[in-house]
Amino acid sequence: MNQSLLPGDTTPAGLAAALRDVILDVDGVAEVFPARPLWQNIAGAARSAVTGEPLPVVQVEFDGEAVDVLTRIGVSTALPAPAVARSVAAAIREHLGSRTATVRVQLVQVR
Amino acid sequence: MSASGDNFECGHSLEELSIYLDTGEFSDPGHLTECPECQSGLAALRRLAALGDELVSADIAAAGSGTDDWMQSILDNLRLELRPGRDIPVRPDTPGDILTETEGSISALIRSAADSLPGTAAGKCRLDGDVSTPGSPITVRVDVAVVFGHPLEERADALRRGIAATLARHTELNIAAIDVTVADVLEPGFPGPAAGPARPSESSEEKP
Amino acid sequence: MTGSPPAPDHFDLVPDALLAGRAADGDTVAFEALARRHGPLMRASARRLTGSLADADDVVQESLVQAWKQLDTLRDGDAVKSWLLRITASRSIDQVRRRKNHSDLSDLDQRLAAGSGLAGGGAAGAGNPEAAALSGSRMEALKAAVAALPEEQRRCWVLKQFNDQSYEEIAQTLNISVASVRGRLARARVALAREMEGWR
Repeated sequence: MNQSLLPGDTTPAGLAAALRDVILDVDGVAEVFPARPLWQNIAGAARSAVTGEPLPVVQVEFDGEAVDVLTRIGVSTALPAPAVARSVAAAIREHLGSRTATVRVQLVQVR
Repeated sequence: MSASGDNFECGHSLEELSIYLDTGEFSDPGHLTECPECQSGLAALRRLAALGDELVSADIAAAGSGTDDWMQSILDNLRLELRPGRDIPVRPDTPGDILTETEGSISALIRSAADSLPGTAAGKCRLDGDVSTPGSPITVRVDVAVVFGHPLEERADALRRGIAATLARHTELNIAAIDVTVADVLEPGFPGPAAGPARPSESSEEKP
Repeated sequence: MTGSPPAPDHFDLVPDALLAGRAADGDTVAFEALARRHGPLMRASARRLTGSLADADDVVQESLVQAWKQLDTLRDGDAVKSWLLRITASRSIDQVRRRKNHSDLSDLDQRLAAGSGLAGGGAAGAGNPEAAALSGSRMEALKAAVAALPEEQRRCWVLKQFNDQSYEEIAQTLNISVASVRGRLARARVALAREMEGWR
């Protein structure tokens, strides 16, 4: 079942990092925001802003063979925002290959 | 400074002078105009206060401007986290996928449409209606402030057209009406609320 | 009115009270305008109170979150600046206490330029006013003198000078008596004035 897996995609963290790049490559996507609200860890967020260390972004959870992906993104106004959301979902699905997946895409910024 | 301790020979202290500078209170106000020691003490404290003001200015300058990256990143987080609002659904290509836009992101988009018109700034912005159910009729209500001298009606019309076009492009909302209210008229170089002009309020509404 | 008046740079022309009212209604753009307007002073004050650039930025962020959540408790919109500075002051003091409780944490923070406001107080090498006086400007000498103040005195002086707090407000912020505030502030000023007299 895992024939489409790339190296690094077998752990949630590895897959999350790979998906972040996949999402950023989609036309119209300006930013990928941490899936968990920063304010749950205010001090961490501030320190991240100062030190430039990235916080974990795309949320990936395995449930047996299935995978649950949640991403929060900012998009530019260059393309219609709903179309960009659909393109992001499609890109995530393409990367996941034949795996059963739930994909959630939340647009939190359009500008 | 002339005194070696905190007390002058006249019996008063720098602490008293320090309080006098902050509060204007002094046990024997007449004394201050006559006592050279107190006068030189006051002068030193005043010079220090001026230097302190200089330090505040220098530190503020060193802290950067409110439009710098540090403040931008703080505000981006604030906007995202504290008032995301309701989720507005976007039709997915794959059934089961959940695609949404936050109400906050759409409000910000509407406000930026108002802010981009000359002499106009957005205020309150609301999406009235059940935005989480596809197809529900939604009324947009937005307050704007317009700088005195700009044509109010014209601005309101242009803004309505701009908002309608923006929402049609970037959302799948069923917009029933766009209600633009000129809530404030601003004096150019606005010195403060007391000096502001009377604030007419006009509301206009039309189907997009 | 002749000609076309300049467009407002967003909310630049709008007074605090009006912005505060709108922000309390949930208008994030109005709140952002307030944050941009007063953020640099909040940051400057937090830097002097905490002595750390990174801690100061944490403090400003936390203060703005708190302000946003508590906006509806602000009765007088004209007082929003001093209110923001009051929140900043309390959070700065908390931050220094937290830091002291975890003094074993390695100090990765980028510290302020020599002696300009280390939180630890004391007149150690970095806070030598005379050295600074010889090598730097009058401002550098003042920074060094401020840094060399005992911590309790420095807090009082910064809260007065930067945050423009009254004796009562300083007493509340530091949880000490008004009489202590009067005394510490006066002693701070005497010490600073002495140091700075040589700079006339």
